[in-house]
Amino acid sequence: MNMKYLSATLFAVNVLLLPGTAFSQLKQNTSSGEQLNLTFNIKAGDATVVPGNTYTNPFGETYTVQKFRFYIAQILLEDSTNTSEQFFPDDYFLVDAGDTGSRTITVPISIKHLTAVSFLVGVDSVANVSGTQTGALDPANGMFWTWNTGYIMLKLDGTSPAAKVPGNAFSLHVGGYKTGENATRKIGYLIRHSQKQAVHNIVFNVDINKLFNGAYPIKIAEHPLCHQPGALAMQLADNYATMFSLGQVSK
Amino acid sequence: MKWLYTICACVIVIAVCSMFISAANKTPIPTPLNFTVPAGWPQPVYDFKQNPLTKEGFELGRKLFYDGRLSRDGNFSCASCHQQFAAFATYDHNLSHGINNSFTRRNSPGLFNLAWQKEFMWDGGINHLDLQPLAPMTDTLEMGETIDNILTKLRADTAYKRMFAGAFGSADITTQRVTKALSQFMLMLVSANSKFDRVMRGEDSFDLPEKLGYAIFQKKCQACHTPPLFTDYSYRNTGITTDMYLNDVGRMKITRNPADSLKFKVPSLRNVQLTFPYGHDGRFYYLQDVLDHYRKAVVNSPSVDPLVRNNMPLSNFETGQLKAFMYTLTDSVFISDVRFAPPGYENRAPKAPAEHEHQYKY
Repeated sequence: MNMKYLSATLFAVNVLLLPGTAFSQLKQNTSSGEQLNLTFNIKAGDATVVPGNTYTNPFGETYTVQKFRFYIAQILLEDSTNTSEQFFPDDYFLVDAGDTGSRTITVPISIKHLTAVSFLVGVDSVANVSGTQTGALDPANGMFWTWNTGYIMLKLDGTSPAAKVPGNAFSLHVGGYKTGENATRKIGYLIRHSQKQAVHNIVFNVDINKLFNGAYPIKIAEHPLCHQPGALAMQLADNYATMFSLGQVSK
Repeated sequence: MKWLYTICACVIVIAVCSMFISAANKTPIPTPLNFTVPAGWPQPVYDFKQNPLTKEGFELGRKLFYDGRLSRDGNFSCASCHQQFAAFATYDHNLSHGINNSFTRRNSPGLFNLAWQKEFMWDGGINHLDLQPLAPMTDTLEMGETIDNILTKLRADTAYKRMFAGAFGSADITTQRVTKALSQFMLMLVSANSKFDRVMRGEDSFDLPEKLGYAIFQKKCQACHTPPLFTDYSYRNTGITTDMYLNDVGRMKITRNPADSLKFKVPSLRNVQLTFPYGHDGRFYYLQDVLDHYRKAVVNSPSVDPLVRNNMPLSNFETGQLKAFMYTLTDSVFISDVRFAPPGYENRAPKAPAEHEHQYKY
C-alpha cells in the first residue's frame, strides 16, 4: 500500500476522533471546580454512633441503634459580603449512619466568601406529590410510605428494653408533607470567617439523643412507634430540628 | 490521480466512521400513543407531559401488569385481583386473595378511567397513579415483595432489558420506569363505550325501564355518582357499620380527622354489573343489597352524608328501574378489548366465526 495513502487515511481518522476527545476533556473540566464537603457526624451525646452499638438517652433508657437515616435537601450557600448565593433545589441526599460515604455530601461551590449555610431536613412537599422519584428519593430506599403517600424524613429503628412492643423493637419513622403536619425542618448556620481562605469542609454534629429530648421529652417507653404523620411526628420533627450543631469549619 | 485516490479514501473513511458513530449513538425512538378524551368528558388530571404515552411503554406496562414476578412467590400479578372480564376488579370476591393464603383488607376496585382520578385507594391515601402499584407490591397481604427484589428479578430478564430500552431509551430498570410503564398501561384503560354512552351519542336508545331508571338516577344518585365518570371522587360515609374484624375507619386513617370516620371514596358505577360484591369491604353481594341499604339500613352517625341520612326513599319499582339503568353502564367493548388482555393474547384469541360457519348443516 502506498505510504501517502495510508498516512492520509490515518489523518482522516484522527480528524474524526479529535472533536470527540476534545469534548470529553471539556466535560471533565466543568466538573472539577471548587467543592464543599458537608459532613454529618452521628453521635449519641458525646459518643459516635455505630449501628449495632448501645447508647443511653437522657431518660436513662438504653437503646441499640439499628438504622438511622435522614434526608437533606435544599442546600443553600450564602455570601452576604457580595449578596450572592447558591441554591440546590433539586439535589436530595440520604444520610445513613450505616454508610460512611453517605455522611459526607459534596456540592460544587462558586461563591467566594461563604457566610451562611442552610438546608432542609426532609423532603419538600413538591417531591411528595410528583409521582415516583429517582436517586436518593427512589421509594426502593425504604424511606417512603406506599399506603399513605409521602417520604419518611427521618428514621430511627432499634431495640430498647424500654420499648414494650414485640422484640423490644422501637421504630420512629417521621414524615408528613401536608399543611399542619409538615415534618421538614430548616437548619441554618452562620459561618464565621477568621481566615481569608475559602471554606471547603463543614462538619455538623448530629446528636440522636436530642430526638428523644429536644423541644419535647419523648420517651421510648411512652412512644416506641411512630409510623404516620401527625402530632407525634411533628414533635419528633421539632426535636430533630435541635439535633444538629455546627462543628469544625475548615479550608 | 493519487490525490484523487486520497480524497476518495478520506471521504469513504469519514462516511464509514460516521456510520459507526451514528449506529452507536442511535437510540430507538418510541412510537407515540394517542390518548383520546371521549367527547364531552373533562380533561384528565394525569400529567402526560411527565410520562408521554408510547406504544413501547404501554406494551411494557402490559407485560408488567400480567407478570407474577412482581410478587414474592411469583403467583400474584396485578391481574390476579384486577381481571379484565370484571372491568379489572376481582370477580365475585368480597376480598381478594393475596400471598400465603391471605385475604386483602378491602374490595378490589375496577380499573378504568384512571387518568381522571387524583387520589387512589378507598381512603385516597395515594396521591399519584405512578405510586399506586407500590402499595400492593409491598403489602404482605397482597404481593408481599420488596421493590429491590422486583427490580433484581426484572434486571435479570433480557426481554425486559430490551423492552425498557425500547420504551425509555436505555436498558436501565428503575422504580420510576417500572411505575411509569404500569401507568401507561393503566391510563389507556378507558371505559366509555357502554350502552349509556351510545345513547348519549345518539347511537342507541334506552328501553322503558332503563329510561325510567335514568330519571330516578338523575334525581337521587348522580350528586355523588356524577356522569360521565359516575363518581365525584369525594369521600363519604354512607351510613355503614364498622366490621369488627377489619376495623376499617376509611378516610380517617389518612387524615386522622374524626369527621372522616367511615368515609370511603365514592366508587364509579361504570361496569357496576361486573364489579360485585360492593362496598369497600365487599359486604353487599347484589346491587339490590346496596339499594336496600340506602332505603332501609343507613345508620346515622355524625359523619354520615346528609344525602343518605335517615335513608333514601326508593320503591320496589324504582330499585328495579335503577338496576335496569345501571346495567347500561356495562362496557362490553372495554372488557373484550385485546389490547388490555395478557401480552400476546391477540394472537391466540378465539376468532369470530366466518359468515358461512353460522349456517349449520343438518
